[in-house]
Amino acid sequence: MTQTLDLGPRVELVSMDPHFHDITIALYSPGSDGQPAYLVHTYSSIPGADERLARLRQTMQTLGGMEAIGEGLLHFPCGHAHPLAARRVFLDSCKLKPEPPAEAQPLNVFDKKSNGTITVASLGNGLYEARPADDAQGTERRVATIARGLMRLGEMEEVDGQPNQTRFSCSQEHDDLIGLLLVRAPNVRAAMREAEDMASRGVLAAPSAQE
Amino acid sequence: MTASMTSRQRVLAALKREPVDRTPLCNPTSVATVELMDLVNAPFPEANRNPELMARLAATGYTELGFDTIMPVFTIIQESSALGCKIQWEQKDNWPTVRMNEPIWREPDDIKVPADLCTHPDTTCVTEAIKILRKEYGDEVAIVGKTMGPWSQGYHCFGVEPFLLMSLDDPGKTKLCLDRMKEITIQFGQAQIDAGADALCLPDHATGDLVSGEYYQRYLRDMHIEFAERLSVPIILHICGRTVDRMEYIAQTGMAAFHFDSKNAPQESMDIVKDRISLVGNINNPETLFSKGPEAVNTEVTRNLEAGVQLVGPECAIPLQTSIENLKEISRTVRTWHRDQASN
Repeated sequence: MTQTLDLGPRVELVSMDPHFHDITIALYSPGSDGQPAYLVHTYSSIPGADERLARLRQTMQTLGGMEAIGEGLLHFPCGHAHPLAARRVFLDSCKLKPEPPAEAQPLNVFDKKSNGTITVASLGNGLYEARPADDAQGTERRVATIARGLMRLGEMEEVDGQPNQTRFSCSQEHDDLIGLLLVRAPNVRAAMREAEDMASRGVLAAPSAQE
Repeated sequence: MTASMTSRQRVLAALKREPVDRTPLCNPTSVATVELMDLVNAPFPEANRNPELMARLAATGYTELGFDTIMPVFTIIQESSALGCKIQWEQKDNWPTVRMNEPIWREPDDIKVPADLCTHPDTTCVTEAIKILRKEYGDEVAIVGKTMGPWSQGYHCFGVEPFLLMSLDDPGKTKLCLDRMKEITIQFGQAQIDAGADALCLPDHATGDLVSGEYYQRYLRDMHIEFAERLSVPIILHICGRTVDRMEYIAQTGMAAFHFDSKNAPQESMDIVKDRISLVGNINNPETLFSKGPEAVNTEVTRNLEAGVQLVGPECAIPLQTSIENLKEISRTVRTWHRDQASN
């Protein structure tokens, strides 16, 4: 009798939770009644692990605008999978300390490169536009970069002739999710590098390839 | 088709190229993952240094993933630690490594096999884990140990670059070093046999990227013949990388099996070794098991089954973050493939 479960495809993994005894936490996509849904899971039976997962689910709802749909499952209210965005919500939620409870991120970000603030406005139907904040100078060229960053992080779509705009394929608003993605949008490369570094850990190299 | 066999019978028969009821799933190297560590509360690095944890984690390959083998020696550094190499034990999510930039030997006369090689805590951990597994699982599953070959020991104890340069500059000295280091392989291997191992994996990293087939023939083939003669259980040689240029020599060693890398196509490899040595592997780790999904795993496993590879499993120690779903797919594919073959 095996103890491992059939949880569907694994979407993302945090090998060592920095906030709870280094347990491994994974995000699975079990598919609930044909609807895209996500399950946060650990095989650890350390006392307190269930509470840690409950807090993590709450953080994902707050930061990513996800909803609990019972049996520990989460989904986006639009009913679409948005798998890259879900991964980002999971990874960033795992990084946060359990206390104090997380708060949704604002729709603006300070951009170090332009030394100014960039905001993102919802234009409705899942369409978002990056703009320089009213009082910021020199951020004009960076807004397109921010919009591209959102596209890559959230698997959003390009808008023809509008480099500062991007939209969700579901045509639904995801303000909380945009707030979360916006934190990393100015430096997507760093986010990608971090993901690559995580992926390369735990891969055994032959002695000839080790340092 | 033979009557239903136990996992142990199946593995031992396949290592001798005798009939089996289905292709055995064999992991001559680690199938430990961070999720399995949590499942049985046996995380790295402790599971490499505590025999109970080592046995418990290793057993999940059989109990959870459906392999026909249990292989408790996750790392390649247990005996190197006993030899005095500096070890970086790392954390749960990474492999321990030898600090090869701080070599412990420079000359053949430096090579000393310590009296406590097989009683050192990091080698005893392995033998004790094998005893625990033997006691718990009896004869139902094949227990595979691991003893590193002298070429790998050379990298660990002399450093990769110094050892390779020595092999270029002074073949006689290199052969002397290998000859002295082979006793480490024999002693640690024998200790595991005495503890109850059914077979031994013998990694000797004359890898395709750094060492030619001619090198293998010149430095290692005869020594590997000697290992096959002196160690009384089936030996599974493991060499990473593209190795078709040395498979002919490997097939001459008398070893039971060669654990081969996915850089070698199953059919071309089978064509070279013919019926002289069993092949085991060769499911790709970084691209397939780690990065792709069950469909890709299924395709690779099927390719090996169709080529007649005698034992199927990952090509090397799997990445610690590999998904359980992909690992279970190896077993699922093998069983389904044989069921389909039987019904056709």
